Amino acid sequence: MLTIIQNTFREALAKKIFIGYYIFYAIVILIMIFLVNMDSVEGVMSLADSKMLVHQVETGFLTISWNLIIFFSLISTASFIPSMLEKGTIDLLISKPISRPMILISKYLGAVLFVFLSMVFLMGSIWLILSLKSGYWDPTFLLSILWLTLAFAVMYSIVVIIGLTTQSTVVAILVNFFLIFVLCPLLSVREAVIFSLVTNETVKFVFDFLYYLFPKPGEFRDITTSLINGEQINMWKSSVNAETSTFTISWLSPISSALFCLVMMAYSIYYFTKKDY
Amino acid sequence: MHVIETQNLSKEYTAKFSKQKVNALNDFSFNVEQGEIFGLLGPNGAGKTTLIKILLAITFPTSGSAKLFGTDVGNHKAKTKVGYLPENHKFPSYLTGEQVLNYYGQLSGMKQGSDMSKRIDEMLGLMNLTQWRKTKIKKYSKGMMQKLGLAQAMLSEPDLIFLDEPTDGVDPIGRKEIRDILAQIKAKGKTIFLNSHLLSEVEMICDRVAILNKGDLIKEGNVDDLTKAENIFAIHTVEPLSMELKQKVLGIDPGAGIGEREINTEAGIDKLNGIIDSLRSNGVMIQTVNQKTSTLEELFINVIKKDNTN
Repeated sequence: MLTIIQNTFREALAKKIFIGYYIFYAIVILIMIFLVNMDSVEGVMSLADSKMLVHQVETGFLTISWNLIIFFSLISTASFIPSMLEKGTIDLLISKPISRPMILISKYLGAVLFVFLSMVFLMGSIWLILSLKSGYWDPTFLLSILWLTLAFAVMYSIVVIIGLTTQSTVVAILVNFFLIFVLCPLLSVREAVIFSLVTNETVKFVFDFLYYLFPKPGEFRDITTSLINGEQINMWKSSVNAETSTFTISWLSPISSALFCLVMMAYSIYYFTKKDY
Repeated sequence: MHVIETQNLSKEYTAKFSKQKVNALNDFSFNVEQGEIFGLLGPNGAGKTTLIKILLAITFPTSGSAKLFGTDVGNHKAKTKVGYLPENHKFPSYLTGEQVLNYYGQLSGMKQGSDMSKRIDEMLGLMNLTQWRKTKIKKYSKGMMQKLGLAQAMLSEPDLIFLDEPTDGVDPIGRKEIRDILAQIKAKGKTIFLNSHLLSEVEMICDRVAILNKGDLIKEGNVDDLTKAENIFAIHTVEPLSMELKQKVLGIDPGAGIGEREINTEAGIDKLNGIIDSLRSNGVMIQTVNQKTSTLEELFINVIKKDNTN
Protein backbone atom coordinates (compact mmCIF):
# COMPACT_ATOMS: atom_id res chain seq x y z
CA MET A 1 0.00 0.00 0.00
CA LEU A 2 2.76 2.43 1.00
CA THR A 3 4.59 1.74 -2.27
CA ILE A 4 1.57 2.77 -4.36
CA ILE A 5 0.92 5.82 -2.16
CA GLN A 6 4.56 6.85 -2.52
CA ASN A 7 4.38 6.43 -6.29
CA THR A 8 1.17 8.50 -6.42
CA PHE A 9 3.13 11.32 -4.79
CA ARG A 10 5.89 10.96 -7.37
CA GLU A 11 3.28 11.05 -10.12
CA ALA A 12 1.73 14.20 -8.65
CA LEU A 13 5.09 15.93 -8.40
CA ALA A 14 6.01 14.94 -11.97
CA LYS A 15 2.88 16.42 -13.50
CA LYS A 16 3.09 19.94 -14.93
CA ILE A 17 -0.33 20.75 -13.51
CA PHE A 18 1.22 20.41 -10.08
CA ILE A 19 3.36 23.50 -10.82
CA GLY A 20 0.21 25.44 -11.74
CA TYR A 21 -1.43 24.19 -8.55
CA TYR A 22 1.38 25.56 -6.38
CA ILE A 23 1.60 28.83 -8.36
CA PHE A 24 -2.08 29.32 -7.47
CA TYR A 25 -1.28 28.66 -3.81
CA ALA A 26 1.72 30.99 -3.90
CA ILE A 27 -0.48 33.77 -5.32
CA VAL A 28 -3.05 33.21 -2.54
CA ILE A 29 -0.30 33.37 0.08
CA LEU A 30 1.20 36.53 -1.47
CA ILE A 31 -2.23 38.17 -1.47
CA MET A 32 -2.53 37.39 2.22
CA ILE A 33 0.95 38.80 2.90
CA PHE A 34 0.60 42.05 1.00
CA LEU A 35 -3.09 42.90 0.87
CA VAL A 36 -4.40 41.93 4.28
CA ASN A 37 -3.65 44.78 6.63
CA MET A 38 -4.33 44.11 10.29
CA ASP A 39 -1.98 46.51 12.00
CA SER A 40 -3.55 49.85 11.05
CA VAL A 41 -4.81 50.41 14.56
CA GLU A 42 -1.87 48.78 16.27
CA GLY A 43 -1.76 49.41 19.96
CA VAL A 44 -5.37 50.46 20.11
CA MET A 45 -7.02 47.18 19.13
CA SER A 46 -8.07 44.99 22.05
CA LEU A 47 -7.59 41.24 22.04
CA ALA A 48 -11.33 40.78 21.54
CA ASP A 49 -11.24 43.11 18.53
CA SER A 50 -8.25 41.44 16.93
CA LYS A 51 -9.84 38.04 17.61
CA MET A 52 -13.02 39.15 15.86
CA LEU A 53 -11.06 40.65 12.97
CA VAL A 54 -9.01 37.48 12.51
CA HIS A 55 -12.20 35.37 12.51
CA GLN A 56 -13.75 37.71 9.94
CA VAL A 57 -10.71 37.47 7.65
CA GLU A 58 -10.54 33.69 8.07
CA THR A 59 -14.26 33.28 7.34
CA GLY A 60 -14.06 35.63 4.37
CA PHE A 61 -11.06 33.83 2.96
CA LEU A 62 -12.69 30.40 3.32
CA THR A 63 -15.98 31.65 1.80
CA ILE A 64 -14.21 32.97 -1.29
CA SER A 65 -11.63 30.26 -1.85
CA TRP A 66 -13.21 27.00 -0.54
CA ASN A 67 -14.75 25.66 -3.75
CA LEU A 68 -11.81 26.89 -5.84
CA ILE A 69 -9.28 25.07 -3.66
CA ILE A 70 -11.28 21.83 -3.86
CA PHE A 71 -11.71 22.17 -7.61
CA PHE A 72 -7.99 22.89 -8.23
CA SER A 73 -7.10 19.91 -6.05
CA LEU A 74 -9.43 17.73 -8.12
CA ILE A 75 -7.94 18.98 -11.41
CA SER A 76 -4.41 18.20 -10.24
CA THR A 77 -5.28 14.64 -9.18
CA ALA A 78 -8.04 13.65 -11.63
CA SER A 79 -5.65 11.94 -14.06
CA PHE A 80 -4.32 9.44 -11.48
CA ILE A 81 -7.01 6.81 -12.14
CA PRO A 82 -7.13 7.04 -15.97
CA SER A 83 -3.31 6.93 -16.15
CA MET A 84 -3.27 3.86 -13.88
CA LEU A 85 -5.72 2.15 -16.24
CA GLU A 86 -3.61 2.67 -19.36
CA LYS A 87 -2.82 -0.51 -21.26
CA GLY A 88 0.61 -1.79 -20.27
CA THR A 89 0.39 -0.13 -16.84
CA ILE A 90 -2.68 -1.79 -15.37
CA ASP A 91 -1.62 -5.26 -16.63
CA LEU A 92 1.65 -4.99 -14.79
CA LEU A 93 0.04 -3.66 -11.62
CA ILE A 94 -2.58 -6.42 -11.47
CA SER A 95 0.05 -9.09 -12.21
CA LYS A 96 1.68 -8.29 -8.85
CA PRO A 97 0.62 -10.14 -5.69
CA ILE A 98 -1.64 -7.32 -4.49
CA SER A 99 -5.41 -7.48 -4.40
CA ARG A 100 -7.37 -5.20 -6.69
CA PRO A 101 -9.21 -3.43 -3.82
CA MET A 102 -5.82 -2.68 -2.25
CA ILE A 103 -4.52 -1.14 -5.50
CA LEU A 104 -7.55 1.16 -5.81
CA ILE A 105 -7.67 2.15 -2.13
CA SER A 106 -3.93 2.92 -2.17
CA LYS A 107 -4.33 5.12 -5.23
CA TYR A 108 -7.27 6.93 -3.58
CA LEU A 109 -5.43 7.41 -0.30
CA GLY A 110 -2.34 8.62 -2.18
CA ALA A 111 -4.36 11.41 -3.77
CA VAL A 112 -6.09 12.31 -0.49
CA LEU A 113 -2.78 12.37 1.40
CA PHE A 114 -1.20 14.51 -1.32
CA VAL A 115 -4.02 17.05 -1.02
CA PHE A 116 -3.85 16.91 2.79
CA LEU A 117 -0.15 17.89 2.71
CA SER A 118 -0.90 20.62 0.17
CA MET A 119 -3.57 21.94 2.54
CA VAL A 120 -1.08 21.86 5.41
CA PHE A 121 1.21 24.02 3.26
CA LEU A 122 -1.51 26.46 2.10
CA MET A 123 -3.68 26.81 5.18
CA GLY A 124 -0.66 26.55 7.49
CA SER A 125 0.99 29.45 5.64
CA ILE A 126 -2.16 31.56 5.79
CA TRP A 127 -2.61 30.81 9.48
CA LEU A 128 1.00 31.81 10.13
CA ILE A 129 0.61 35.07 8.18
CA LEU A 130 -2.63 36.02 9.96
CA SER A 131 -1.24 35.10 13.37
CA LEU A 132 1.98 37.09 12.86
CA LYS A 133 0.10 40.07 11.50
CA SER A 134 -2.57 40.13 14.21
CA GLY A 135 -0.71 38.70 17.16
CA TYR A 136 -3.71 36.41 17.76
CA TRP A 137 -2.92 32.74 17.29
CA ASP A 138 -6.19 30.99 16.44
CA PRO A 139 -5.65 27.20 16.17
CA THR A 140 -9.27 26.56 15.11
CA PHE A 141 -8.42 27.89 11.63
CA LEU A 142 -6.18 24.84 11.20
CA LEU A 143 -9.36 22.73 11.25
CA SER A 144 -9.85 23.95 7.68
CA ILE A 145 -6.97 21.62 6.67
CA LEU A 146 -8.98 18.65 7.87
CA TRP A 147 -12.34 19.79 6.49
CA LEU A 148 -10.92 20.76 3.09
CA THR A 149 -9.26 17.37 2.86
CA LEU A 150 -12.50 15.62 3.81
CA ALA A 151 -14.47 17.62 1.24
CA PHE A 152 -11.85 16.70 -1.36
CA ALA A 153 -11.97 13.03 -0.32
CA VAL A 154 -15.74 12.99 -0.87
CA MET A 155 -15.53 14.64 -4.29
CA TYR A 156 -12.56 12.49 -5.30
CA SER A 157 -14.70 9.37 -4.91
CA ILE A 158 -16.68 10.70 -7.90
CA VAL A 159 -13.44 11.16 -9.84
CA VAL A 160 -12.55 7.55 -9.04
CA ILE A 161 -15.82 6.05 -10.29
CA ILE A 162 -15.86 8.21 -13.42
CA GLY A 163 -12.18 7.47 -14.05
CA LEU A 164 -12.83 3.74 -13.77
CA THR A 165 -15.90 3.67 -16.00
CA THR A 166 -14.90 6.20 -18.67
CA GLN A 167 -11.09 6.33 -18.29
CA SER A 168 -11.46 10.05 -18.97
CA THR A 169 -9.90 12.82 -16.87
CA VAL A 170 -11.90 15.51 -18.69
CA VAL A 171 -15.29 13.91 -17.95
CA ALA A 172 -14.35 13.53 -14.28
CA ILE A 173 -13.36 17.22 -14.07
CA LEU A 174 -16.49 18.42 -15.88
CA VAL A 175 -18.82 16.40 -13.66
CA ASN A 176 -17.11 17.77 -10.56
CA PHE A 177 -17.28 21.31 -11.90
CA PHE A 178 -21.03 20.89 -12.41
CA LEU A 179 -21.50 19.44 -8.93
CA ILE A 180 -19.32 21.94 -7.05
CA PHE A 181 -20.33 25.14 -8.80
CA VAL A 182 -23.86 24.41 -10.05
CA LEU A 183 -25.85 21.53 -8.59
CA CYS A 184 -24.70 21.45 -4.96
CA PRO A 185 -24.96 25.24 -4.36
CA LEU A 186 -28.39 25.18 -6.01
CA LEU A 187 -29.59 22.31 -3.83
CA SER A 188 -28.29 23.91 -0.66
CA VAL A 189 -30.46 26.99 -1.24
CA ARG A 190 -33.48 24.98 -2.38
CA GLU A 191 -35.58 25.93 0.65
CA ALA A 192 -34.88 29.64 0.40
CA VAL A 193 -34.97 30.01 -3.39
CA ILE A 194 -36.48 27.06 -5.26
CA PHE A 195 -39.28 26.23 -2.83
CA SER A 196 -40.49 29.84 -2.89
CA LEU A 197 -41.01 29.48 -6.65
CA VAL A 198 -42.33 25.91 -6.71
CA THR A 199 -45.51 24.69 -5.03
CA ASN A 200 -45.62 21.13 -6.36
CA GLU A 201 -44.81 18.72 -3.50
CA THR A 202 -43.34 16.07 -5.83
CA VAL A 203 -40.85 18.54 -7.24
CA LYS A 204 -39.95 19.60 -3.72
CA PHE A 205 -39.47 15.96 -2.76
CA VAL A 206 -37.17 15.42 -5.76
CA PHE A 207 -35.05 18.43 -4.79
CA ASP A 208 -34.89 17.26 -1.18
CA PHE A 209 -33.96 13.77 -2.33
CA LEU A 210 -31.18 15.11 -4.56
CA TYR A 211 -29.95 17.33 -1.74
CA TYR A 212 -29.56 14.41 0.65
CA LEU A 213 -28.20 12.14 -2.10
CA PHE A 214 -25.38 14.32 -3.40
CA PRO A 215 -22.31 15.44 -1.45
CA LYS A 216 -22.24 18.94 -0.04
CA PRO A 217 -18.68 20.30 -0.26
CA GLY A 218 -19.88 23.86 0.35
CA GLU A 219 -21.47 22.89 3.64
CA PHE A 220 -18.16 21.50 4.86
CA ARG A 221 -17.05 25.14 4.66
CA ASP A 222 -20.05 26.23 6.75
CA ILE A 223 -19.13 23.63 9.37
CA THR A 224 -15.53 24.92 9.39
CA THR A 225 -16.50 28.58 9.74
CA SER A 226 -19.00 27.69 12.48
CA LEU A 227 -16.26 25.87 14.38
CA ILE A 228 -13.86 28.81 13.90
CA ASN A 229 -16.45 31.32 15.11
CA GLY A 230 -17.58 29.08 17.99
CA GLU A 231 -21.12 28.91 16.63
CA GLN A 232 -23.64 26.22 17.47
CA ILE A 233 -24.01 23.25 15.11
CA ASN A 234 -27.28 21.28 15.07
CA MET A 235 -27.16 17.51 15.11
CA TRP A 236 -29.56 16.55 12.31
CA LYS A 237 -31.29 19.55 10.79
CA SER A 238 -30.03 22.96 9.71
CA SER A 239 -32.20 25.85 10.88
CA VAL A 240 -32.76 29.56 10.34
CA ASN A 241 -33.56 31.85 13.23
CA ALA A 242 -36.27 34.17 11.92
CA GLU A 243 -35.57 36.87 14.50
CA THR A 244 -31.82 37.14 14.06
CA SER A 245 -31.76 35.78 10.46
CA THR A 246 -28.89 33.53 11.47
CA PHE A 247 -28.37 30.18 9.83
CA THR A 248 -27.30 27.15 11.89
CA ILE A 249 -25.69 24.27 10.03
CA SER A 250 -26.09 20.62 11.05
CA TRP A 251 -23.77 17.62 11.17
CA LEU A 252 -26.06 15.88 8.70
CA SER A 253 -24.19 17.40 5.74
CA PRO A 254 -20.80 15.81 6.46
CA ILE A 255 -22.47 12.56 7.57
CA SER A 256 -24.54 12.17 4.39
CA SER A 257 -21.54 13.24 2.26
CA ALA A 258 -19.34 10.65 3.98
CA LEU A 259 -21.98 7.99 3.28
CA PHE A 260 -22.07 9.07 -0.36
CA CYS A 261 -18.27 8.73 -0.47
CA LEU A 262 -18.42 5.25 1.08
CA VAL A 263 -21.07 4.09 -1.41
CA MET A 264 -19.08 5.52 -4.35
CA MET A 265 -15.87 3.84 -3.17
CA ALA A 266 -17.61 0.53 -2.46
CA TYR A 267 -19.08 0.51 -5.97
CA SER A 268 -15.71 1.57 -7.46
CA ILE A 269 -13.98 -1.33 -5.71
CA TYR A 270 -16.67 -3.75 -6.87
CA TYR A 271 -16.42 -2.48 -10.46
CA PHE A 272 -12.60 -2.58 -10.46
CA THR A 273 -12.57 -6.09 -8.98
CA LYS A 274 -14.88 -7.48 -11.67
CA LYS A 275 -13.50 -5.66 -14.72
CA ASP A 276 -11.43 -7.34 -17.45
CA TYR A 277 -8.29 -5.43 -18.49
CA MET B 1 2.01 -30.23 -8.76
CA HIS B 2 1.96 -28.42 -12.10
CA VAL B 3 3.35 -24.91 -12.32
CA ILE B 4 0.47 -23.94 -14.62
CA GLU B 5 -2.73 -25.93 -14.85
CA THR B 6 -5.83 -25.01 -16.80
CA GLN B 7 -9.04 -26.96 -17.21
CA ASN B 8 -11.65 -26.28 -19.88
CA LEU B 9 -10.81 -22.61 -19.95
CA SER B 10 -13.12 -20.54 -22.13
CA LYS B 11 -13.40 -16.83 -22.67
CA GLU B 12 -16.16 -15.11 -24.55
CA TYR B 13 -16.12 -11.41 -25.31
CA THR B 14 -19.14 -9.40 -26.31
CA ALA B 15 -18.49 -6.69 -28.89
CA LYS B 16 -19.42 -3.27 -27.46
CA PHE B 17 -21.84 -2.04 -30.09
CA SER B 18 -22.87 -5.04 -32.20
CA LYS B 19 -23.33 -7.27 -29.10
CA GLN B 20 -21.77 -10.04 -31.16
CA LYS B 21 -20.10 -12.82 -29.16
CA VAL B 22 -16.45 -13.56 -29.88
CA ASN B 23 -14.78 -16.70 -28.54
CA ALA B 24 -11.24 -15.83 -27.54
CA LEU B 25 -10.59 -19.25 -25.93
CA ASN B 26 -12.52 -22.50 -26.32
CA ASP B 27 -12.35 -25.25 -23.72
CA PHE B 28 -8.60 -24.87 -23.33
CA SER B 29 -6.80 -27.38 -21.09
CA PHE B 30 -3.05 -27.73 -20.68
CA ASN B 31 -0.31 -27.98 -18.06
CA VAL B 32 3.19 -26.57 -17.79
CA GLU B 33 5.78 -28.34 -15.65
CA GLN B 34 8.60 -26.91 -13.55
CA GLY B 35 11.77 -26.00 -15.43
CA GLU B 36 10.12 -25.93 -18.84
CA ILE B 37 10.33 -23.18 -21.41
CA PHE B 38 6.86 -23.26 -22.86
CA GLY B 39 6.10 -21.38 -26.07
CA LEU B 40 2.66 -20.19 -27.05
CA LEU B 41 2.20 -19.67 -30.78
CA GLY B 42 -0.65 -18.47 -32.89
CA PRO B 43 -1.67 -15.85 -35.43
CA ASN B 44 -2.94 -12.44 -34.30
CA GLY B 45 -6.23 -12.78 -32.45
CA ALA B 46 -5.65 -16.45 -31.67
CA GLY B 47 -6.17 -15.88 -27.94
CA LYS B 48 -2.53 -15.95 -26.75
CA THR B 49 -2.60 -12.70 -24.78
CA THR B 50 -6.07 -13.54 -23.43
CA LEU B 51 -4.67 -16.79 -22.04
CA ILE B 52 -1.76 -15.01 -20.31
CA LYS B 53 -4.15 -12.38 -18.93
CA ILE B 54 -6.43 -15.08 -17.52
CA LEU B 55 -3.47 -16.83 -15.91
CA LEU B 56 -2.53 -13.55 -14.21
CA ALA B 57 -6.15 -12.66 -13.28
CA ILE B 58 -5.99 -9.52 -15.43
CA THR B 59 -8.98 -10.93 -17.30
CA PHE B 60 -11.52 -13.41 -15.96
CA PRO B 61 -12.53 -16.62 -17.78
CA THR B 62 -16.14 -17.17 -18.82
CA SER B 63 -15.82 -20.78 -17.63
CA GLY B 64 -13.16 -23.26 -16.57
CA SER B 65 -10.37 -22.94 -14.05
CA ALA B 66 -6.71 -21.96 -13.95
CA LYS B 67 -4.13 -22.55 -11.25
CA LEU B 68 -0.57 -21.35 -10.65
CA PHE B 69 1.47 -23.57 -8.32
CA GLY B 70 -1.79 -25.27 -7.31
CA THR B 71 -3.47 -22.04 -6.21
CA ASP B 72 -6.46 -20.64 -8.07
CA VAL B 73 -5.42 -17.58 -10.11
CA GLY B 74 -8.29 -15.61 -8.54
CA ASN B 75 -6.28 -15.58 -5.30
CA HIS B 76 -3.68 -12.80 -5.63
CA LYS B 77 -1.25 -14.82 -3.53
CA ALA B 78 -0.92 -17.20 -6.50
CA LYS B 79 1.17 -14.46 -8.14
CA THR B 80 3.76 -14.26 -5.36
CA LYS B 81 6.28 -16.35 -7.30
CA VAL B 82 5.44 -14.93 -10.72
CA GLY B 83 7.19 -12.38 -12.93
CA TYR B 84 5.54 -10.80 -15.97
CA LEU B 85 6.70 -8.78 -18.93
CA PRO B 86 3.62 -7.57 -20.83
CA GLU B 87 3.64 -6.70 -24.51
CA ASN B 88 3.98 -2.90 -24.90
CA HIS B 89 4.49 -2.42 -21.19
CA LYS B 90 4.33 1.12 -19.87
CA PHE B 91 6.38 2.15 -16.86
CA PRO B 92 5.85 5.54 -15.16
CA SER B 93 7.91 7.87 -17.37
CA TYR B 94 8.92 10.10 -14.44
CA LEU B 95 10.98 7.31 -12.86
CA THR B 96 14.61 6.38 -13.52
CA GLY B 97 15.57 2.82 -14.44
CA GLU B 98 16.64 2.15 -10.86
CA GLN B 99 13.42 3.62 -9.43
CA VAL B 100 11.34 1.46 -11.79
CA LEU B 101 13.01 -1.69 -10.45
CA ASN B 102 12.66 -0.44 -6.90
CA TYR B 103 8.94 0.27 -7.36
CA TYR B 104 8.02 -3.01 -9.05
CA GLY B 105 10.32 -4.96 -6.73
CA GLN B 106 8.37 -3.64 -3.74
CA LEU B 107 5.07 -4.40 -5.45
CA SER B 108 6.33 -7.96 -5.94
CA GLY B 109 6.79 -8.22 -2.20
CA MET B 110 10.52 -7.47 -1.94
CA LYS B 111 11.64 -5.57 1.13
CA GLN B 112 13.66 -2.40 0.67
CA GLY B 113 17.23 -2.84 1.86
CA SER B 114 20.66 -4.01 0.89
CA ASP B 115 19.45 -7.32 -0.57
CA MET B 116 17.08 -5.57 -2.91
CA SER B 117 19.71 -2.96 -3.86
CA LYS B 118 22.15 -5.76 -4.60
CA ARG B 119 19.59 -7.53 -6.75
CA ILE B 120 18.81 -4.29 -8.65
CA ASP B 121 22.55 -3.78 -9.30
CA GLU B 122 22.78 -7.37 -10.52
CA MET B 123 19.81 -7.01 -12.88
CA LEU B 124 20.96 -3.68 -14.29
CA GLY B 125 24.41 -5.20 -14.88
CA LEU B 126 22.94 -8.26 -16.57
CA MET B 127 20.93 -6.05 -18.94
CA ASN B 128 23.85 -3.65 -19.60
CA LEU B 129 21.84 -0.79 -18.15
CA THR B 130 24.12 0.15 -15.21
CA GLN B 131 25.25 3.43 -16.78
CA TRP B 132 21.59 4.41 -17.42
CA ARG B 133 20.33 3.64 -13.92
CA LYS B 134 19.90 7.29 -12.92
CA THR B 135 18.40 8.35 -16.26
CA LYS B 136 14.65 8.96 -16.55
CA ILE B 137 13.17 6.12 -18.61
CA LYS B 138 11.46 8.52 -21.01
CA LYS B 139 14.94 8.83 -22.55
CA TYR B 140 15.33 5.06 -23.00
CA SER B 141 15.23 3.41 -26.45
CA LYS B 142 12.71 0.64 -27.22
CA GLY B 143 15.39 -1.99 -26.76
CA MET B 144 16.45 -0.55 -23.40
CA MET B 145 12.84 -0.45 -22.25
CA GLN B 146 12.43 -4.08 -23.21
CA LYS B 147 15.55 -5.06 -21.26
CA LEU B 148 14.35 -3.03 -18.26
CA GLY B 149 11.01 -4.84 -18.54
CA LEU B 150 12.78 -8.17 -18.49
CA ALA B 151 14.85 -7.07 -15.48
CA GLN B 152 11.60 -6.08 -13.73
CA ALA B 153 10.08 -9.51 -14.47
CA MET B 154 13.15 -11.32 -13.12
CA LEU B 155 13.92 -9.04 -10.17
CA SER B 156 12.18 -10.94 -7.38
CA GLU B 157 13.66 -14.24 -8.61
CA PRO B 158 10.23 -15.67 -9.49
CA ASP B 159 9.78 -19.37 -10.18
CA LEU B 160 7.57 -18.66 -13.18
CA ILE B 161 8.06 -15.88 -15.72
CA PHE B 162 5.51 -14.86 -18.34
CA LEU B 163 7.11 -13.10 -21.30
CA ASP B 164 4.88 -11.56 -23.93
CA GLU B 165 7.00 -10.75 -27.00
CA PRO B 166 10.20 -10.21 -24.98
CA THR B 167 12.44 -9.46 -27.98
CA ASP B 168 10.02 -7.06 -29.64
CA GLY B 169 11.99 -4.01 -30.85
CA VAL B 170 15.33 -5.45 -29.75
CA ASP B 171 18.24 -5.62 -32.25
CA PRO B 172 19.78 -9.03 -33.19
CA ILE B 173 22.61 -8.70 -30.64
CA GLY B 174 20.13 -7.77 -27.92
CA ARG B 175 17.92 -10.71 -28.93
CA LYS B 176 20.87 -13.06 -28.58
CA GLU B 177 21.60 -11.58 -25.13
CA ILE B 178 17.98 -12.10 -24.07
CA ARG B 179 18.04 -15.70 -25.35
CA ASP B 180 21.20 -16.33 -23.31
CA ILE B 181 19.57 -14.83 -20.22
CA LEU B 182 16.52 -17.08 -20.68
CA ALA B 183 18.85 -20.09 -20.95
CA GLN B 184 20.46 -19.04 -17.64
CA ILE B 185 17.03 -18.76 -16.00
CA LYS B 186 16.10 -22.22 -17.27
CA ALA B 187 19.37 -23.62 -15.93
CA LYS B 188 18.27 -22.43 -12.48
CA GLY B 189 15.15 -24.60 -12.78
CA LYS B 190 12.75 -21.72 -13.36
CA THR B 191 9.75 -22.02 -15.65
CA ILE B 192 9.27 -19.65 -18.58
CA PHE B 193 6.03 -19.10 -20.45
CA LEU B 194 6.88 -17.40 -23.73
CA ASN B 195 4.57 -15.75 -26.21
CA SER B 196 6.41 -14.72 -29.35
CA HIS B 197 5.85 -14.17 -33.05
CA LEU B 198 9.48 -15.00 -33.82
CA LEU B 199 9.12 -18.70 -34.53
CA SER B 200 12.83 -19.29 -35.13
CA GLU B 201 13.46 -17.88 -31.70
CA VAL B 202 10.78 -20.04 -30.07
CA GLU B 203 12.30 -23.07 -31.82
CA MET B 204 15.72 -22.20 -30.40
CA ILE B 205 14.54 -21.55 -26.85
CA CYS B 206 11.45 -23.62 -26.09
CA ASP B 207 11.14 -27.22 -24.92
CA ARG B 208 7.45 -27.44 -25.61
CA VAL B 209 4.98 -25.39 -27.63
CA ALA B 210 1.24 -25.03 -28.04
CA ILE B 211 -0.32 -23.62 -31.20
CA LEU B 212 -3.54 -21.69 -30.81
CA ASN B 213 -5.89 -20.69 -33.61
CA LYS B 214 -9.18 -18.83 -33.14
CA GLY B 215 -9.18 -19.75 -29.46
CA ASP B 216 -8.63 -23.48 -30.05
CA LEU B 217 -5.58 -25.50 -29.08
CA ILE B 218 -4.69 -27.19 -32.37
CA LYS B 219 -1.26 -28.63 -31.62
CA GLU B 220 0.80 -29.19 -28.51
CA GLY B 221 4.00 -31.07 -27.89
CA ASN B 222 7.78 -31.12 -27.63
CA VAL B 223 9.50 -28.97 -30.23
CA ASP B 224 11.68 -31.90 -31.42
CA ASP B 225 8.67 -34.20 -31.88
CA LEU B 226 6.58 -31.59 -33.64
CA THR B 227 9.27 -30.61 -36.10
CA LYS B 228 9.88 -34.24 -37.15
CA ALA B 229 7.91 -34.56 -40.38
CA GLU B 230 5.77 -37.67 -40.08
CA ASN B 231 6.45 -40.40 -42.69
CA ILE B 232 8.85 -38.34 -44.78
CA PHE B 233 12.10 -40.22 -45.29
CA ALA B 234 15.21 -39.68 -47.41
CA ILE B 235 17.42 -42.61 -48.56
CA HIS B 236 20.92 -41.79 -49.73
CA THR B 237 22.86 -44.38 -51.74
CA VAL B 238 26.59 -44.77 -52.25
CA GLU B 239 26.37 -45.26 -56.04
CA PRO B 240 24.11 -43.53 -58.56
CA LEU B 241 20.80 -45.28 -59.19
CA SER B 242 20.20 -47.01 -62.54
CA MET B 243 17.06 -46.29 -64.63
CA GLU B 244 15.87 -49.84 -63.99
CA LEU B 245 16.11 -49.37 -60.22
CA LYS B 246 14.36 -46.02 -60.40
CA GLN B 247 11.45 -47.71 -62.21
CA LYS B 248 11.34 -50.40 -59.53
CA VAL B 249 11.19 -47.78 -56.78
CA LEU B 250 8.38 -45.95 -58.59
CA GLY B 251 6.60 -49.26 -58.81
CA ILE B 252 6.64 -49.47 -55.01
CA ASP B 253 5.88 -45.77 -54.36
CA PRO B 254 4.63 -43.89 -57.43
CA GLY B 255 4.90 -40.59 -55.52
CA ALA B 256 8.57 -40.99 -54.59
CA GLY B 257 11.01 -38.24 -55.53
CA ILE B 258 14.12 -39.78 -57.07
CA GLY B 259 17.44 -38.05 -57.65
CA GLU B 260 20.86 -39.29 -58.73
CA ARG B 261 21.67 -40.83 -55.32
CA GLU B 262 18.62 -39.87 -53.28
CA ILE B 263 15.09 -41.19 -52.88
CA ASN B 264 12.43 -39.24 -50.94
CA THR B 265 9.30 -41.06 -49.88
CA GLU B 266 6.23 -39.95 -47.94
CA ALA B 267 4.42 -43.28 -48.30
CA GLY B 268 5.04 -44.59 -44.78
CA ILE B 269 7.20 -47.17 -43.02
CA ASP B 270 6.00 -50.19 -45.08
CA LYS B 271 6.83 -48.62 -48.43
CA LEU B 272 10.15 -47.32 -47.02
CA ASN B 273 11.13 -50.86 -46.08
CA GLY B 274 9.94 -52.14 -49.47
CA ILE B 275 12.19 -49.64 -51.25
CA ILE B 276 15.15 -50.54 -49.02
CA ASP B 277 14.58 -54.27 -49.68
CA SER B 278 14.44 -53.66 -53.39
CA LEU B 279 17.65 -51.59 -53.35
CA ARG B 280 19.50 -54.10 -51.21
CA SER B 281 18.38 -57.07 -53.28
CA ASN B 282 19.88 -55.29 -56.30
CA GLY B 283 23.19 -54.85 -54.49
CA VAL B 284 22.84 -51.13 -53.82
CA MET B 285 24.82 -49.87 -50.85
CA ILE B 286 22.77 -47.53 -48.67
CA GLN B 287 24.65 -44.65 -47.06
CA THR B 288 21.93 -43.10 -44.81
CA VAL B 289 18.22 -43.23 -44.11
CA ASN B 290 16.84 -40.06 -42.44
CA GLN B 291 13.48 -38.99 -41.19
CA LYS B 292 13.06 -35.46 -42.54
CA THR B 293 12.43 -32.51 -40.19
CA SER B 294 10.57 -29.29 -40.85
CA THR B 295 11.15 -25.94 -39.20
CA LEU B 296 8.70 -24.74 -36.58
CA GLU B 297 7.69 -22.04 -39.04
CA GLU B 298 6.79 -24.64 -41.70
CA LEU B 299 4.88 -26.64 -39.14
CA PHE B 300 3.08 -23.53 -37.88
CA ILE B 301 2.01 -22.42 -41.35
CA ASN B 302 0.86 -25.93 -42.33
CA VAL B 303 -1.09 -26.45 -39.12
CA ILE B 304 -2.82 -23.05 -39.28
CA LYS B 305 -3.64 -23.47 -42.99
CA LYS B 306 -5.08 -26.92 -42.36
CA ASP B 307 -7.14 -25.66 -39.40
CA ASN B 308 -8.48 -22.69 -41.37
CA THR B 309 -9.45 -25.00 -44.27
CA ASN B 310 -11.29 -27.31 -41.90
